[in-house]
Amino acid sequence: MYLKTLHLQQFRNYRDQQVKFSAPKTILVGDNAQGKSNLLEAVELLATLRSHRALRDRELVLEGEQIGQISATLERHATPVDLSLIVRSSGRRTVSQNGETLRRQLDFLGVMNAVQFSSLDLELVRGSPSERRNWLDTLLTQLEPVYAYILQQYHTVLRQRNAFLKQQSGELSTPMDLAAESDLTQLAIWDAQLAAIGSRVIRRRARVLERLAPLAQTWHQAISNSTEKLEIHYAPNVAAESDDPSAIQQAFLDKLKLRAVAEQHQGTTLVGPHRDEVEFIINHTPARQYGSQGQQRTLVLALKLAELKLIEAVIGEPPLLLLDDVLAELDLNRQNKLLETIQDHFQTLITTTHLGSFDAQWLKSSQIFTIHAGRVLESG
Amino acid sequence: MNFGGTPTVYTRPLARLIEQLQRLPGVGPKTAQRLALHILKQPETEVHALAQALVEAKHQVGLCSVCFHLSAEPVCEICRDANRDPYTICVVSDSRDVIALERTREYRGKYHVLGGLISPMDGIGPDQLHIAQLVRRVSKQDIKEVILAISPSVEGETTTLYVGQLLKPFTRVTRIAFGLPMGGDLEYADEVTLARALEGRRDLD
Ligand SMILES: Nc1ncnc2c1ncn2[C@@H]1O[C@H](COP(=O)(O)OP(=O)(O)OP(=O)(O)O)[C@@H](O)[C@H]1O
Ligand SMILES: [Mg+2]
Ligand SMILES: [Zn+2]
Repeated sequence: MYLKTLHLQQFRNYRDQQVKFSAPKTILVGDNAQGKSNLLEAVELLATLRSHRALRDRELVLEGEQIGQISATLERHATPVDLSLIVRSSGRRTVSQNGETLRRQLDFLGVMNAVQFSSLDLELVRGSPSERRNWLDTLLTQLEPVYAYILQQYHTVLRQRNAFLKQQSGELSTPMDLAAESDLTQLAIWDAQLAAIGSRVIRRRARVLERLAPLAQTWHQAISNSTEKLEIHYAPNVAAESDDPSAIQQAFLDKLKLRAVAEQHQGTTLVGPHRDEVEFIINHTPARQYGSQGQQRTLVLALKLAELKLIEAVIGEPPLLLLDDVLAELDLNRQNKLLETIQDHFQTLITTTHLGSFDAQWLKSSQIFTIHAGRVLESG
Repeated sequence: MNFGGTPTVYTRPLARLIEQLQRLPGVGPKTAQRLALHILKQPETEVHALAQALVEAKHQVGLCSVCFHLSAEPVCEICRDANRDPYTICVVSDSRDVIALERTREYRGKYHVLGGLISPMDGIGPDQLHIAQLVRRVSKQDIKEVILAISPSVEGETTTLYVGQLLKPFTRVTRIAFGLPMGGDLEYADEVTLARALEGRRDLD
Protein backbone atom coordinates (compact mmCIF):
# COMPACT_ATOMS: atom_id res chain seq x y z
CA MET A 1 0.00 0.00 0.00
CA TYR A 2 1.10 3.51 -0.62
CA LEU A 3 0.50 6.60 1.45
CA LYS A 4 0.06 9.45 -1.02
CA THR A 5 -0.83 12.42 1.13
CA LEU A 6 -1.03 13.32 4.76
CA HIS A 7 -2.77 16.35 6.18
CA LEU A 8 -2.22 17.34 9.79
CA GLN A 9 -4.50 19.91 11.37
CA GLN A 10 -3.92 21.02 14.91
CA PHE A 11 -2.16 17.77 15.57
CA ARG A 12 0.73 17.94 18.07
CA ASN A 13 2.93 20.85 17.00
CA TYR A 14 1.46 21.05 13.48
CA ARG A 15 -1.16 23.73 12.86
CA ASP A 16 -2.02 22.97 9.26
CA GLN A 17 0.39 20.94 7.18
CA GLN A 18 -0.07 19.08 3.92
CA VAL A 19 2.49 16.49 2.94
CA LYS A 20 2.73 14.78 -0.42
CA PHE A 21 4.77 11.62 -0.71
CA SER A 22 6.36 11.10 -4.07
CA ALA A 23 8.92 8.34 -3.49
CA PRO A 24 8.79 4.98 -1.72
CA LYS A 25 11.33 6.28 0.76
CA THR A 26 10.97 9.53 2.63
CA ILE A 27 13.60 10.91 4.98
CA LEU A 28 12.47 13.43 7.57
CA VAL A 29 15.47 15.36 8.79
CA GLY A 30 15.51 17.98 11.51
CA ASP A 31 16.82 19.00 14.90
CA ASN A 32 15.43 17.58 18.09
CA ALA A 33 11.88 18.44 19.11
CA GLN A 34 10.78 19.77 15.71
CA GLY A 35 7.99 17.29 14.95
CA LYS A 36 9.58 14.32 13.16
CA SER A 37 8.22 11.69 15.52
CA ASN A 38 4.91 13.53 15.68
CA LEU A 39 4.46 12.97 11.97
CA LEU A 40 5.18 9.26 12.26
CA GLU A 41 2.82 9.09 15.20
CA ALA A 42 0.04 10.47 13.00
CA VAL A 43 0.59 7.62 10.55
CA GLU A 44 0.71 5.10 13.38
CA LEU A 45 -2.61 6.39 14.68
CA LEU A 46 -4.29 5.95 11.32
CA ALA A 47 -3.01 2.40 11.13
CA THR A 48 -3.73 1.23 14.66
CA LEU A 49 -5.80 3.93 16.39
CA ARG A 50 -3.14 3.65 19.06
CA SER A 51 -0.13 5.74 19.86
CA HIS A 52 2.82 4.18 21.57
CA ARG A 53 3.59 7.40 23.39
CA ALA A 54 0.39 9.35 24.07
CA LEU A 55 -1.60 8.36 27.12
CA ARG A 56 -4.49 10.71 26.37
CA ASP A 57 -5.87 12.28 23.24
CA ARG A 58 -5.48 15.66 24.92
CA GLU A 59 -1.72 15.38 24.24
CA LEU A 60 -2.36 14.85 20.54
CA VAL A 61 -4.24 18.09 20.01
CA LEU A 62 -2.25 21.26 19.36
CA GLU A 63 -1.84 23.05 22.64
CA GLY A 64 -4.61 25.56 23.25
CA GLU A 65 -7.01 23.84 20.85
CA GLN A 66 -9.86 21.39 21.43
CA ILE A 67 -9.81 19.39 18.28
CA GLY A 68 -7.30 18.08 15.77
CA GLN A 69 -7.46 16.03 12.62
CA ILE A 70 -5.27 13.63 10.68
CA SER A 71 -6.33 12.91 7.11
CA ALA A 72 -4.64 10.80 4.51
CA THR A 73 -5.06 9.40 1.06
CA LEU A 74 -3.86 5.86 0.77
CA GLU A 75 -3.57 3.66 -2.25
CA ARG A 76 -4.58 0.14 -1.40
CA HIS A 77 -5.16 -2.64 -3.90
CA ALA A 78 -4.69 0.08 -6.51
CA THR A 79 -7.70 1.96 -5.17
CA PRO A 80 -7.43 5.30 -3.40
CA VAL A 81 -8.94 5.45 0.09
CA ASP A 82 -9.43 8.62 2.13
CA LEU A 83 -8.99 8.19 5.84
CA SER A 84 -9.56 10.70 8.57
CA LEU A 85 -9.30 10.64 12.32
CA ILE A 86 -10.53 13.49 14.47
CA VAL A 87 -9.13 13.62 17.98
CA ARG A 88 -10.49 15.84 20.70
CA SER A 89 -9.08 16.90 24.01
CA SER A 90 -12.29 15.47 25.49
CA GLY A 91 -11.09 12.05 24.29
CA ARG A 92 -13.95 11.49 21.85
CA ARG A 93 -12.82 10.35 18.41
CA THR A 94 -14.44 10.33 15.03
CA VAL A 95 -13.17 8.13 12.23
CA SER A 96 -14.22 8.32 8.63
CA GLN A 97 -13.43 6.58 5.42
CA ASN A 98 -14.01 8.18 2.04
CA GLY A 99 -15.82 11.01 3.74
CA GLU A 100 -18.26 8.77 5.54
CA THR A 101 -18.22 8.68 9.32
CA LEU A 102 -17.89 5.13 10.61
CA ARG A 103 -20.01 4.15 13.59
CA ARG A 104 -17.56 1.55 14.78
CA GLN A 105 -13.88 2.37 15.10
CA LEU A 106 -13.32 -1.29 14.40
CA ASP A 107 -14.19 -0.72 10.75
CA PHE A 108 -11.39 1.81 10.48
CA LEU A 109 -8.73 -0.62 11.60
CA GLY A 110 -6.97 -2.73 9.07
CA VAL A 111 -7.42 -0.29 6.19
CA MET A 112 -3.92 1.08 6.58
CA ASN A 113 -1.14 -1.08 7.94
CA ALA A 114 2.15 0.05 9.37
CA VAL A 115 5.05 -1.33 11.34
CA GLN A 116 6.65 1.12 13.72
CA PHE A 117 10.28 0.71 14.67
CA SER A 118 11.85 3.19 17.03
CA SER A 119 14.85 3.30 19.29
CA LEU A 120 12.44 2.72 22.16
CA ASP A 121 11.75 -0.73 20.82
CA LEU A 122 14.65 -2.25 22.72
CA GLU A 123 12.15 -2.11 25.57
CA LEU A 124 10.37 -4.85 23.72
CA VAL A 125 13.15 -7.16 24.78
CA ARG A 126 14.28 -5.55 28.01
CA GLY A 127 11.08 -4.11 29.37
CA SER A 128 8.28 -5.61 31.41
CA PRO A 129 5.92 -8.23 29.99
CA SER A 130 3.32 -5.54 29.33
CA GLU A 131 5.60 -4.14 26.59
CA ARG A 132 5.48 -7.46 24.80
CA ARG A 133 1.74 -7.86 25.29
CA ASN A 134 1.18 -4.38 23.84
CA TRP A 135 3.35 -5.14 20.87
CA LEU A 136 1.53 -8.38 20.21
CA ASP A 137 -1.87 -6.75 20.61
CA THR A 138 -1.01 -3.95 18.22
CA LEU A 139 0.10 -6.44 15.61
CA LEU A 140 -3.01 -8.56 16.10
CA THR A 141 -5.26 -5.57 15.78
CA GLN A 142 -3.84 -4.91 12.35
CA LEU A 143 -4.14 -8.50 11.25
CA GLU A 144 -7.59 -9.12 12.68
CA PRO A 145 -9.41 -5.88 13.50
CA VAL A 146 -12.06 -7.78 15.45
CA TYR A 147 -9.31 -8.45 17.98
CA ALA A 148 -9.55 -4.81 19.08
CA TYR A 149 -13.14 -5.49 20.06
CA ILE A 150 -12.31 -8.73 21.85
CA LEU A 151 -9.50 -7.08 23.77
CA GLN A 152 -11.66 -4.18 24.81
CA GLN A 153 -14.32 -6.59 26.01
CA TYR A 154 -11.72 -8.51 27.96
CA HIS A 155 -10.51 -5.37 29.69
CA THR A 156 -14.06 -4.41 30.56
CA VAL A 157 -14.73 -7.81 32.14
CA LEU A 158 -11.41 -7.59 33.94
CA ARG A 159 -12.15 -4.16 35.41
CA GLN A 160 -15.64 -5.22 36.44
CA ARG A 161 -14.41 -8.41 38.02
CA ASN A 162 -11.64 -6.54 39.84
CA ALA A 163 -14.16 -4.04 41.17
CA PHE A 164 -16.32 -6.92 42.33
CA LEU A 165 -13.42 -8.70 44.05
CA LYS A 166 -12.40 -5.48 45.73
CA GLN A 167 -15.91 -5.00 47.10
CA GLN A 168 -15.87 -8.54 48.40
CA SER A 169 -12.50 -8.24 50.06
CA GLY A 170 -13.70 -4.96 51.59
CA GLU A 171 -16.71 -6.64 53.16
CA LEU A 172 -14.96 -7.38 56.43
CA SER A 173 -13.36 -10.59 55.26
CA THR A 174 -16.34 -12.89 55.04
CA PRO A 175 -14.72 -15.97 53.59
CA MET A 176 -16.13 -16.79 50.16
CA ASP A 177 -17.76 -19.99 51.42
CA LEU A 178 -19.88 -17.95 53.82
CA ALA A 179 -20.64 -15.20 51.35
CA ALA A 180 -24.17 -14.57 50.21
CA GLU A 181 -25.36 -16.94 47.56
CA SER A 182 -26.11 -14.06 45.24
CA ASP A 183 -22.47 -12.98 45.43
CA LEU A 184 -21.33 -16.46 44.53
CA THR A 185 -23.71 -16.51 41.61
CA GLN A 186 -22.38 -13.19 40.40
CA LEU A 187 -18.76 -14.21 40.80
CA ALA A 188 -19.38 -17.41 38.84
CA ILE A 189 -20.81 -15.34 36.00
CA TRP A 190 -17.83 -12.96 35.96
CA ASP A 191 -15.58 -16.03 35.97
CA ALA A 192 -17.39 -17.53 33.02
CA GLN A 193 -17.20 -14.29 31.06
CA LEU A 194 -13.54 -13.77 31.86
CA ALA A 195 -12.78 -17.32 30.74
CA ALA A 196 -14.89 -17.10 27.59
CA ILE A 197 -13.47 -13.82 26.35
CA GLY A 198 -10.02 -14.43 27.81
CA SER A 199 -9.63 -17.65 25.90
CA ARG A 200 -10.40 -15.84 22.67
CA VAL A 201 -7.51 -13.48 23.46
CA ILE A 202 -5.22 -16.40 24.31
CA ARG A 203 -6.00 -18.34 21.15
CA ARG A 204 -5.38 -15.37 18.92
CA ARG A 205 -2.11 -14.50 20.60
CA ALA A 206 -0.94 -18.09 20.30
CA ARG A 207 -1.93 -18.19 16.66
CA VAL A 208 -0.12 -15.01 15.65
CA LEU A 209 3.05 -16.01 17.47
CA GLU A 210 2.99 -19.36 15.77
CA ARG A 211 3.11 -17.61 12.42
CA LEU A 212 5.52 -14.88 13.45
CA ALA A 213 8.10 -17.04 15.20
CA PRO A 214 9.53 -18.87 12.16
CA LEU A 215 9.78 -15.60 10.22
CA ALA A 216 11.63 -13.89 13.06
CA GLN A 217 13.83 -16.93 13.47
CA THR A 218 14.90 -16.83 9.84
CA TRP A 219 15.66 -13.13 10.00
CA HIS A 220 17.56 -13.42 13.23
CA GLN A 221 19.68 -16.14 11.75
CA ALA A 222 20.40 -14.07 8.65
CA ILE A 223 21.30 -10.92 10.55
CA SER A 224 23.55 -12.77 12.97
CA ASN A 225 25.21 -14.61 10.09
CA SER A 226 23.93 -17.92 11.43
CA THR A 227 25.74 -17.57 14.73
CA GLU A 228 22.54 -17.30 16.73
CA LYS A 229 19.38 -19.28 17.06
CA LEU A 230 16.23 -17.50 18.17
CA GLU A 231 13.27 -19.17 19.81
CA ILE A 232 10.03 -17.43 20.66
CA HIS A 233 7.75 -18.94 23.26
CA TYR A 234 4.32 -17.80 24.15
CA ALA A 235 3.94 -18.21 27.92
CA PRO A 236 0.24 -17.74 28.56
CA ASN A 237 -0.82 -17.29 32.15
CA VAL A 238 -3.46 -19.89 31.49
CA ALA A 239 -1.84 -22.84 29.76
CA ALA A 240 -3.99 -25.53 28.22
CA GLU A 241 -3.26 -28.96 26.83
CA SER A 242 -4.83 -28.18 23.50
CA ASP A 243 -5.83 -25.28 21.31
CA ASP A 244 -9.47 -26.26 21.60
CA PRO A 245 -11.58 -23.30 22.83
CA SER A 246 -13.44 -25.36 25.40
CA ALA A 247 -10.18 -26.88 26.69
CA ILE A 248 -8.73 -23.40 27.22
CA GLN A 249 -11.89 -22.20 28.92
CA GLN A 250 -11.84 -25.19 31.23
CA ALA A 251 -8.18 -24.65 32.09
CA PHE A 252 -9.02 -21.01 32.75
CA LEU A 253 -11.86 -21.89 35.13
CA ASP A 254 -9.71 -24.49 36.87
CA LYS A 255 -6.95 -21.98 37.47
CA LEU A 256 -9.45 -19.41 38.74
CA LYS A 257 -10.63 -21.96 41.27
CA LEU A 258 -7.06 -22.67 42.29
CA ARG A 259 -6.31 -19.00 42.86
CA ALA A 260 -9.68 -18.07 44.37
CA VAL A 261 -8.40 -17.51 47.89
CA ALA A 262 -5.46 -15.38 46.75
CA GLU A 263 -7.72 -13.36 44.47
CA GLN A 264 -10.19 -12.74 47.23
CA HIS A 265 -7.39 -11.76 49.55
CA GLN A 266 -5.78 -9.35 47.11
CA GLY A 267 -9.04 -8.12 45.66
CA THR A 268 -7.84 -8.43 42.09
CA THR A 269 -7.81 -10.86 39.19
CA LEU A 270 -4.64 -12.94 39.17
CA VAL A 271 -5.50 -15.26 36.30
CA GLY A 272 -5.76 -14.44 32.62
CA PRO A 273 -4.05 -13.11 29.51
CA HIS A 274 -3.41 -9.73 31.15
CA ARG A 275 -0.57 -11.67 32.77
CA ASP A 276 0.76 -13.33 29.65
CA GLU A 277 4.43 -13.26 28.72
CA VAL A 278 6.34 -13.77 25.50
CA GLU A 279 9.82 -15.23 25.93
CA PHE A 280 12.67 -14.56 23.55
CA ILE A 281 15.46 -17.06 23.78
CA ILE A 282 18.77 -16.71 21.96
CA ASN A 283 21.04 -19.74 21.90
CA HIS A 284 19.08 -21.27 24.78
CA THR A 285 19.46 -18.16 26.94
CA PRO A 286 16.67 -15.68 27.80
CA ALA A 287 17.41 -12.51 25.83
CA ARG A 288 15.70 -10.28 28.33
CA GLN A 289 18.18 -10.75 31.15
CA TYR A 290 21.22 -12.13 29.40
CA GLY A 291 21.20 -10.82 25.85
CA SER A 292 23.96 -8.41 24.91
CA GLN A 293 23.01 -5.01 23.48
CA GLY A 294 23.94 -6.27 20.05
CA GLN A 295 21.87 -9.42 20.38
CA GLN A 296 18.91 -7.42 21.62
CA ARG A 297 19.16 -5.07 18.64
CA THR A 298 19.36 -7.98 16.24
CA LEU A 299 16.33 -9.49 17.91
CA VAL A 300 14.21 -6.34 17.65
CA LEU A 301 15.19 -5.89 14.04
CA ALA A 302 14.31 -9.51 13.28
CA LEU A 303 10.93 -9.07 14.98
CA LYS A 304 10.18 -5.94 12.98
CA LEU A 305 11.15 -7.55 9.68
CA ALA A 306 9.00 -10.54 10.60
CA GLU A 307 6.08 -8.21 11.31
CA LEU A 308 6.46 -6.62 7.88
CA LYS A 309 6.43 -9.99 6.17
CA LEU A 310 3.57 -11.37 8.23
CA ILE A 311 1.34 -8.37 7.62
CA GLU A 312 2.14 -8.57 3.95
CA ALA A 313 1.32 -12.27 3.85
CA VAL A 314 -1.98 -11.83 5.67
CA ILE A 315 -3.17 -8.58 4.09
CA GLY A 316 -1.78 -9.27 0.66
CA GLU A 317 -0.04 -5.91 0.45
CA PRO A 318 3.19 -4.55 1.90
CA PRO A 319 2.58 -2.36 4.97
CA LEU A 320 4.28 0.97 5.60
CA LEU A 321 7.43 1.01 7.66
CA LEU A 322 8.04 3.82 10.13
CA LEU A 323 11.65 4.09 11.25
CA ASP A 324 12.04 6.55 14.08
CA ASP A 325 15.67 7.37 14.86
CA VAL A 326 16.76 3.75 14.54
CA LEU A 327 18.88 3.72 11.45
CA ALA A 328 21.79 5.54 13.01
CA GLU A 329 21.74 3.09 15.88
CA LEU A 330 22.22 0.03 13.73
CA ASP A 331 25.65 -1.04 12.63
CA LEU A 332 26.39 -1.36 8.92
CA ASN A 333 25.58 -5.04 8.71
CA ARG A 334 22.19 -4.56 10.30
CA GLN A 335 21.50 -1.40 8.30
CA ASN A 336 22.17 -3.29 5.10
CA LYS A 337 19.92 -6.19 6.05
CA LEU A 338 17.16 -3.72 6.71
CA LEU A 339 17.72 -1.73 3.54
CA GLU A 340 17.92 -4.85 1.39
CA THR A 341 14.56 -5.94 2.70
CA ILE A 342 12.88 -2.60 2.25
CA GLN A 343 14.19 -1.75 -1.22
CA ASP A 344 11.30 -0.06 -2.93
CA HIS A 345 8.91 -2.71 -1.77
CA PHE A 346 7.86 -1.25 1.57
CA GLN A 347 7.07 2.44 1.65
CA THR A 348 9.25 3.77 4.42
CA LEU A 349 9.30 6.98 6.45
CA ILE A 350 12.60 7.56 8.21
CA THR A 351 13.44 10.22 10.76
CA THR A 352 16.95 11.41 11.49
CA THR A 353 18.79 14.39 12.85
CA HIS A 354 21.64 14.02 10.36
CA LEU A 355 21.79 12.84 6.79
CA GLY A 356 25.39 11.82 7.33
CA SER A 357 24.59 8.27 8.33
CA PHE A 358 22.86 7.51 5.05
CA ASP A 359 24.33 5.71 2.13
CA ALA A 360 24.61 7.98 -0.94
CA GLN A 361 22.52 5.63 -3.05
CA TRP A 362 19.78 5.94 -0.50
CA LEU A 363 19.83 9.68 -0.33
CA LYS A 364 19.50 9.82 -4.10
CA SER A 365 16.47 7.61 -4.27
CA SER A 366 14.66 9.22 -1.34
CA GLN A 367 12.41 12.17 -0.99
CA ILE A 368 13.86 14.41 1.72
CA PHE A 369 11.85 16.69 3.97
CA THR A 370 13.23 19.11 6.49
CA ILE A 371 11.13 19.39 9.62
CA HIS A 372 11.34 22.60 11.53
CA ALA A 373 9.00 23.80 14.29
CA GLY A 374 5.98 21.92 13.03
CA ARG A 375 6.54 22.77 9.36
CA VAL A 376 7.52 20.38 6.60
CA LEU A 377 9.73 21.70 3.82
CA GLU A 378 10.70 19.72 0.78
CA SER A 379 14.40 19.98 0.20
CA GLY A 380 15.68 17.60 -2.35
CA MET B 1 -15.69 21.79 11.01
CA ASN B 2 -14.82 24.79 13.10
CA PHE B 3 -11.24 24.68 14.29
CA GLY B 4 -10.41 26.87 17.22
CA GLY B 5 -13.08 29.35 18.16
CA THR B 6 -13.57 29.57 21.91
CA PRO B 7 -17.13 30.61 22.79
CA THR B 8 -17.78 34.30 23.11
CA VAL B 9 -18.89 35.72 26.41
CA TYR B 10 -22.64 35.48 27.06
CA THR B 11 -24.62 37.68 29.33
CA ARG B 12 -25.08 35.97 32.69
CA PRO B 13 -28.61 34.51 32.48
CA LEU B 14 -27.97 33.29 28.96
CA ALA B 15 -24.74 31.64 30.03
CA ARG B 16 -26.64 29.90 32.80
CA LEU B 17 -29.27 28.60 30.40
CA ILE B 18 -26.62 27.30 28.01
CA GLU B 19 -24.82 25.66 30.87
CA GLN B 20 -27.99 23.87 32.01
CA LEU B 21 -28.84 22.71 28.51
CA GLN B 22 -25.35 21.45 27.98
CA ARG B 23 -25.74 19.08 30.90
CA LEU B 24 -28.36 17.16 28.95
CA PRO B 25 -27.14 13.98 27.30
CA GLY B 26 -26.13 14.39 23.68
CA VAL B 27 -26.10 18.18 23.85
CA GLY B 28 -22.76 19.81 23.12
CA PRO B 29 -21.83 23.46 23.45
CA LYS B 30 -23.00 24.33 19.96
CA THR B 31 -26.38 22.67 20.25
CA ALA B 32 -26.85 24.20 23.68
CA GLN B 33 -26.20 27.64 22.25
CA ARG B 34 -28.61 27.08 19.38
CA LEU B 35 -31.35 25.84 21.71
CA ALA B 36 -30.85 28.70 24.13
CA LEU B 37 -31.02 31.35 21.43
CA HIS B 38 -34.09 29.66 20.01
CA ILE B 39 -35.79 29.68 23.39
CA LEU B 40 -35.08 33.39 23.82
CA LYS B 41 -36.76 34.13 20.52
CA GLN B 42 -39.95 32.31 21.52
CA PRO B 43 -42.97 34.18 22.94
CA GLU B 44 -43.05 34.13 26.72
CA THR B 45 -46.11 31.86 26.84
CA GLU B 46 -44.23 29.19 24.92
CA VAL B 47 -41.30 29.39 27.24
CA HIS B 48 -43.62 29.12 30.24
CA ALA B 49 -45.25 26.08 28.75
CA LEU B 50 -41.85 24.45 28.32
CA ALA B 51 -40.75 25.25 31.86
CA GLN B 52 -44.06 24.02 33.25
CA ALA B 53 -43.87 20.80 31.25
CA LEU B 54 -40.41 20.14 32.65
CA VAL B 55 -41.44 20.66 36.25
CA GLU B 56 -44.74 18.81 35.96
CA ALA B 57 -43.19 15.83 34.25
CA LYS B 58 -40.67 15.64 37.04
CA HIS B 59 -43.40 15.88 39.70
CA GLN B 60 -45.89 13.57 38.18
CA VAL B 61 -43.93 10.85 36.49
CA GLY B 62 -42.70 8.12 38.76
CA LEU B 63 -42.21 4.40 38.38
CA CYS B 64 -44.94 1.80 37.96
CA SER B 65 -45.12 -0.23 41.16
CA VAL B 66 -45.40 -3.47 39.19
CA CYS B 67 -42.99 -3.20 36.28
CA PHE B 68 -40.97 -0.04 37.12
CA HIS B 69 -41.64 1.56 33.76
CA LEU B 70 -42.11 5.32 33.84
CA SER B 71 -45.70 6.11 34.74
CA ALA B 72 -47.84 8.95 36.04
CA GLU B 73 -50.16 6.42 37.70
CA PRO B 74 -49.21 3.99 40.48
CA VAL B 75 -49.63 1.19 37.93
CA CYS B 76 -48.72 1.93 34.33
CA GLU B 77 -50.96 1.65 31.28
CA ILE B 78 -49.22 -1.45 29.97
CA CYS B 79 -49.66 -3.29 33.26
CA ARG B 80 -53.34 -2.27 33.38
CA ASP B 81 -54.08 -3.21 29.77
CA ALA B 82 -56.36 -6.25 29.91
CA ASN B 83 -55.74 -7.01 26.26
CA ARG B 84 -52.11 -7.78 26.81
CA ASP B 85 -50.79 -11.24 27.51
CA PRO B 86 -50.28 -11.42 31.30
CA TYR B 87 -48.26 -14.66 31.13
CA THR B 88 -45.23 -13.22 29.38
CA ILE B 89 -42.76 -10.72 30.83
CA CYS B 90 -40.08 -9.00 28.82
CA VAL B 91 -37.15 -7.85 30.98
CA VAL B 92 -35.25 -4.74 29.91
CA SER B 93 -32.68 -2.55 31.60
CA ASP B 94 -34.27 0.82 30.97
CA SER B 95 -37.59 2.49 30.21
CA ARG B 96 -36.17 3.61 26.87
CA ASP B 97 -36.04 -0.04 25.87
CA VAL B 98 -39.77 -0.45 26.63
CA ILE B 99 -40.46 2.45 24.33
CA ALA B 100 -38.24 0.99 21.59
CA LEU B 101 -39.91 -2.42 21.85
CA GLU B 102 -43.40 -0.90 21.91
CA ARG B 103 -42.65 0.79 18.62
CA THR B 104 -42.18 -2.58 16.97
CA ARG B 105 -45.85 -3.46 17.79
CA GLU B 106 -44.59 -7.02 17.78
CA TYR B 107 -44.76 -7.68 21.49
CA ARG B 108 -48.05 -8.07 23.35
CA GLY B 109 -46.91 -9.17 26.81
CA LYS B 110 -45.88 -7.24 29.90
CA TYR B 111 -42.54 -5.73 30.91
CA HIS B 112 -40.16 -5.47 33.79
CA VAL B 113 -37.63 -2.63 33.91
CA LEU B 114 -34.49 -3.40 35.90
CA GLY B 115 -33.33 0.19 36.12
CA GLY B 116 -29.76 -0.47 34.97
CA LEU B 117 -27.23 -3.24 34.58
CA ILE B 118 -24.96 -5.02 37.04
CA SER B 119 -21.74 -3.03 37.09
CA PRO B 120 -19.44 -3.37 40.11
CA MET B 121 -17.28 -0.50 38.80
CA ASP B 122 -20.25 1.81 39.24
CA GLY B 123 -21.24 0.21 42.52
CA ILE B 124 -24.32 -1.38 40.95
CA GLY B 125 -25.08 -4.88 42.16
CA PRO B 126 -28.31 -6.88 41.96
CA ASP B 127 -29.62 -5.11 45.05
CA GLN B 128 -29.53 -1.76 43.31
CA LEU B 129 -31.74 -3.10 40.51
CA HIS B 130 -35.38 -4.25 40.51
CA ILE B 131 -34.35 -7.88 40.39
CA ALA B 132 -35.84 -9.09 43.69
CA GLN B 133 -39.19 -7.60 42.63
CA LEU B 134 -38.96 -9.48 39.36
CA VAL B 135 -38.27 -12.78 41.08
CA ARG B 136 -41.24 -12.18 43.37
CA ARG B 137 -43.45 -11.36 40.41
CA VAL B 138 -42.46 -14.48 38.51
CA SER B 139 -42.60 -16.84 41.49
CA LYS B 140 -46.00 -15.64 42.69
CA GLN B 141 -47.80 -15.48 39.37
CA ASP B 142 -48.43 -17.92 36.65
CA ILE B 143 -45.82 -16.74 34.17
CA LYS B 144 -45.24 -18.89 31.08
CA GLU B 145 -42.19 -17.15 29.69
CA VAL B 146 -39.71 -14.49 30.63
CA ILE B 147 -37.89 -12.88 27.69
CA LEU B 148 -34.61 -11.21 28.52
CA ALA B 149 -34.05 -8.31 26.12
CA ILE B 150 -30.86 -6.81 27.42
CA SER B 151 -28.12 -5.38 25.23
CA PRO B 152 -25.17 -7.73 24.64
CA SER B 153 -22.52 -5.60 26.34
CA VAL B 154 -20.30 -7.15 29.00
CA GLU B 155 -22.56 -5.76 31.74
CA GLY B 156 -25.69 -6.73 29.83
CA GLU B 157 -24.45 -10.28 29.45
CA THR B 158 -23.71 -10.58 33.16
CA THR B 159 -27.13 -9.20 34.04
CA THR B 160 -28.83 -11.54 31.57
CA LEU B 161 -27.07 -14.58 33.01
CA TYR B 162 -27.71 -13.50 36.58
CA VAL B 163 -31.41 -12.84 36.15
CA GLY B 164 -31.73 -15.99 34.07
CA GLN B 165 -30.33 -18.14 36.85
CA LEU B 166 -32.71 -16.71 39.43
CA LEU B 167 -35.77 -17.18 37.24
CA LYS B 168 -35.10 -20.58 35.73
CA PRO B 169 -36.57 -22.53 38.68
CA PHE B 170 -39.91 -20.82 38.08
CA THR B 171 -40.49 -20.54 34.38
CA ARG B 172 -39.16 -20.77 30.85
CA VAL B 173 -36.51 -18.12 30.25
CA THR B 174 -35.50 -16.98 26.78
CA ARG B 175 -33.26 -14.23 25.50
CA ILE B 176 -33.69 -12.31 22.31
CA ALA B 177 -31.24 -13.02 19.55
CA PHE B 178 -29.06 -10.08 18.79
CA GLY B 179 -28.16 -9.05 15.33
CA LEU B 180 -27.60 -5.70 16.94
CA PRO B 181 -24.66 -3.45 16.30
CA MET B 182 -21.72 -4.25 18.51
CA GLY B 183 -21.87 -2.45 21.78
CA GLY B 184 -25.17 -1.07 20.57
CA ASP B 185 -28.06 -0.10 22.75
CA LEU B 186 -31.51 -1.48 22.21
CA GLU B 187 -32.59 2.08 21.77
CA TYR B 188 -30.55 2.48 18.62
CA ALA B 189 -31.61 -0.75 17.02
CA ASP B 190 -34.05 -0.10 14.25
CA GLU B 191 -37.53 -1.50 14.51
CA VAL B 192 -37.05 -4.19 11.90
CA THR B 193 -33.97 -5.52 13.69
CA LEU B 194 -35.76 -5.53 17.01
CA ALA B 195 -38.83 -7.25 15.64
CA ARG B 196 -36.66 -9.93 14.08
CA ALA B 197 -34.68 -10.31 17.29
CA LEU B 198 -37.90 -10.91 19.19
CA GLU B 199 -38.96 -13.65 16.81
CA GLY B 200 -35.56 -15.31 16.94
CA ARG B 201 -35.31 -15.56 20.70
CA ARG B 202 -33.84 -18.71 22.17
CA ASP B 203 -33.82 -20.52 25.49
CA LEU B 204 -31.24 -19.34 27.95
CA ASP B 205 -28.89 -22.17 28.77
N1 LIG C 1 -0.01 18.81 21.71
C1 LIG C 1 1.07 19.53 21.36
N2 LIG C 1 0.94 20.83 21.03
C2 LIG C 1 2.02 21.57 20.68
N3 LIG C 1 3.26 21.08 20.63
C3 LIG C 1 3.45 19.80 20.94
C4 LIG C 1 2.37 18.95 21.31
N4 LIG C 1 2.85 17.73 21.56
C5 LIG C 1 4.18 17.79 21.36
N5 LIG C 1 4.55 19.02 20.98
C6 LIG C 1 5.89 19.51 20.66
O1 LIG C 1 6.43 18.69 19.66
C7 LIG C 1 7.84 18.64 19.85
C8 LIG C 1 8.31 17.22 19.83
O2 LIG C 1 8.16 16.73 18.56
P1 LIG C 1 8.76 15.31 18.16
O3 LIG C 1 8.61 14.35 19.26
O4 LIG C 1 8.14 14.98 16.85
O5 LIG C 1 10.27 15.69 18.02
P2 LIG C 1 11.34 15.08 17.02
O6 LIG C 1 11.46 15.99 15.87
O7 LIG C 1 11.03 13.67 16.76
O8 LIG C 1 12.63 15.24 17.91
P3 LIG C 1 13.76 14.16 18.33
O9 LIG C 1 14.78 14.25 17.27
O10 LIG C 1 14.25 14.68 19.62
O11 LIG C 1 13.13 12.84 18.44
C9 LIG C 1 8.17 19.26 21.16
O12 LIG C 1 8.66 20.55 20.93
C10 LIG C 1 6.83 19.34 21.84
O13 LIG C 1 6.74 20.44 22.69
MG1 LIG D 1 11.68 11.89 17.63
ZN1 LIG E 1 -46.16 -1.29 34.77
